[in-house]
Amino acid sequence: MGDDFKWPYFFNYPPYFTLQPVKDTRDKQIQLWKELILKYCKHNKIFFIHLEDDIPLFFNASIDRKLTYEARQLFVGALVSEGRAEWMDKAHRKCLVHWRKVQDWAEVILQFARDNGMEDGVMTIDEIRLGDETRGTDLAGIDKVVLIRALKLLEQRGKVAMFKGKSEDDEGVKFSAQL
Amino acid sequence: MDLMKDQLSTFRNQLEDFARKHKNDIKKNPVFRAQFHSMCATCGVDPLASNKGFWAELLGIGDFYYELGVQIVDICLATRSHNGGLIDLGELCSLLSKKRRALREPISEDDCRRAISKLEILGSGFEVFTIGKKKMVRSVPTELNKDHNHILEIAQARGYVTIEDVENELNWPSGRAVDSLELLLKEGLAMVDDGHSDGKRRYWFPCIGSMSSDAIDAESEYNL
Repeated sequence: MGDDFKWPYFFNYPPYFTLQPVKDTRDKQIQLWKELILKYCKHNKIFFIHLEDDIPLFFNASIDRKLTYEARQLFVGALVSEGRAEWMDKAHRKCLVHWRKVQDWAEVILQFARDNGMEDGVMTIDEIRLGDETRGTDLAGIDKVVLIRALKLLEQRGKVAMFKGKSEDDEGVKFSAQL
Repeated sequence: MDLMKDQLSTFRNQLEDFARKHKNDIKKNPVFRAQFHSMCATCGVDPLASNKGFWAELLGIGDFYYELGVQIVDICLATRSHNGGLIDLGELCSLLSKKRRALREPISEDDCRRAISKLEILGSGFEVFTIGKKKMVRSVPTELNKDHNHILEIAQARGYVTIEDVENELNWPSGRAVDSLELLLKEGLAMVDDGHSDGKRRYWFPCIGSMSSDAIDAESEYNL
């Protein structure tokens, strides 16, 4: 999955895959896992995690350890409390990971628009997500839900106006004359 | 008496000449430095005794060990949340060397120990002690009793122990093993591992075992 991800030292140390009973140790453990989840998702541009899946993040084959479901929920839950993740369902099986905050995505979009002379220009949602212009940039492959939220922020700031075309494919934005 | 005084004075002068001539070697070469210390000890001279005076000024050697001491404290603080305030001396030296890489002034375990002994004198709660075959550096007030030392010693084999290991190798009743392990757990010196397929709980000791393998960039891991 892309170039080699650098796993931190604790990922190769078996006890970190067991929820620690001693509070101070557990606090440290939660901190480390929270950072790893964000880093991993950012590196692989993963927006959604299904907690039941044994993705490489939760399972280290080289030391034969994997996080229990309970542990996964605790660590993701800690991210949710901080606003860095969101549960997508009541059963807490699926979550959206904000490895980049929505307001930071808004800035990325704005910068992209400025860099490409998009003042007064128009782009559809799909073009932003999957088009040629954004290929190779941070915006390529951005999740649709996250993108729309970021655009709504920009709309509030008067930087874009969102529009809906005849079909879903026509959803898009017009960038204002002054970015 | 006078003869002895004269002889001592001659030794000291020779030592000072030697130090002046070989100042760079002393600074750059840990083996040379260790030999220099031996020579000093023979004459009853302690170049680290004071930060002022001839030795400190000539060699800046007081500064050198002071600097090491500060860096050692940094490393111990940075790794404390992982190892509970107990670190293998060899590992500490390795991390220290990595931290000083850019300076191109290699240091030895001997340098490390001298710097720590200065820290010990300052009463900063540092202590070097031996467990089994290894030397450990303690940077927290937690004192280990004999039972703990025994457990750490048998943990050196694989980095962890099971309750069974402790009971069998030390001939202890179950209660004693569990109590000691639980205490080490509470002190932050041990971590539990329930993930092995054999279902047995393992107690791992981060202070045993290495953080400084090639696979990791220890410096960035600990923000050294």
